[in-house]
Amino acid sequence: MQFLGPATRRNRQPQATAPTESFLLFRVGEETYGMGLQGIREVIEPRESAAIVPMGFQVCMVLPHRGQRLPVIRMRALFDVSPDETSATARVLVIREGHRTVGLLVDEVLSVAEVDPQRICPLPAMATLLDPALFRGVVARQDRLLVVMNERGLAEFEEVGAFYAGGV
Amino acid sequence: MIQPDTITGEVIEGQLAALMFLVAGRQFAVDLGRVQHILEYRRPTRTPRRPPFVEGIIHHKNRFLPVLNLRKRLGVEEEGPANPAILLMVGTGRDPVLALVVDRVLRVLSLPGDRWMAPPPRMFGIRAEFIRGVANDGGRPVVWVDDAKLLTSPEPIGLLA
Repeated sequence: MQFLGPATRRNRQPQATAPTESFLLFRVGEETYGMGLQGIREVIEPRESAAIVPMGFQVCMVLPHRGQRLPVIRMRALFDVSPDETSATARVLVIREGHRTVGLLVDEVLSVAEVDPQRICPLPAMATLLDPALFRGVVARQDRLLVVMNERGLAEFEEVGAFYAGGV
Repeated sequence: MIQPDTITGEVIEGQLAALMFLVAGRQFAVDLGRVQHILEYRRPTRTPRRPPFVEGIIHHKNRFLPVLNLRKRLGVEEEGPANPAILLMVGTGRDPVLALVVDRVLRVLSLPGDRWMAPPPRMFGIRAEFIRGVANDGGRPVVWVDDAKLLTSPEPIGLLA
């Protein structure tokens, strides 16, 4: 008969795994970023030929989408990545936050990753000149650091607010 | 990772202790008490729209730290050495710790307070507002910088050649 002492019984007990959240990884310029998959409604190809850049807008453009006008944040412009041009692999992530639907034009959609949301820490204040509300934080993942975007902050971006305020 | 107290140099009680380092051939120093660790350089993850002298962020001991390059802050355009050093410093503002990239760490410099002289209006092109004192180390000047002011001020600086 095999004796299972307390140590052995402890080793055989299933390890509790931390809950994870799915994040869509995407590229802007040479860096990889993440966004919670739950907030992403769809991923579409940009039709820049149909894009309109409202007067006074530096970052956003407007695309026709499903019979509506969709404000799209050009992430290369937001992040000041040059040149400000659209690659063949570019996609628009359509997110919905509250009553606002916003598109994010990114250079490439990469993959989906599982991350423990408890491990996401605030982005250091000196790390960026952008509004901290745009970022959910940063997490270490597989010896790399992943900056995670905040859907609410993006939906409340100034030019998006102007679009929905009817000023466009 | 190197502890500051393993760097050569003796801290003598009653004297002001500073950590000396090189940037673009100039000798600088910071308050030794504000230096937590010295690390080998590692490439930071670049963050979007970062300030001109910020290289990005690194992960160290479960903390995410902004990486500030002192060469760039001092307006030095030439590339630095391939293997600079990182000083983990007591931070300012909302970042409790920050990583400061310098060319090379030299040693601990411990001097009586009266050996640190008030700076002239400008030293190496740096205004006196950003300098705590100047000392002579073997015939070469050492500029003790006020890192908190230097790293948080938006004023551009151009280190004199």
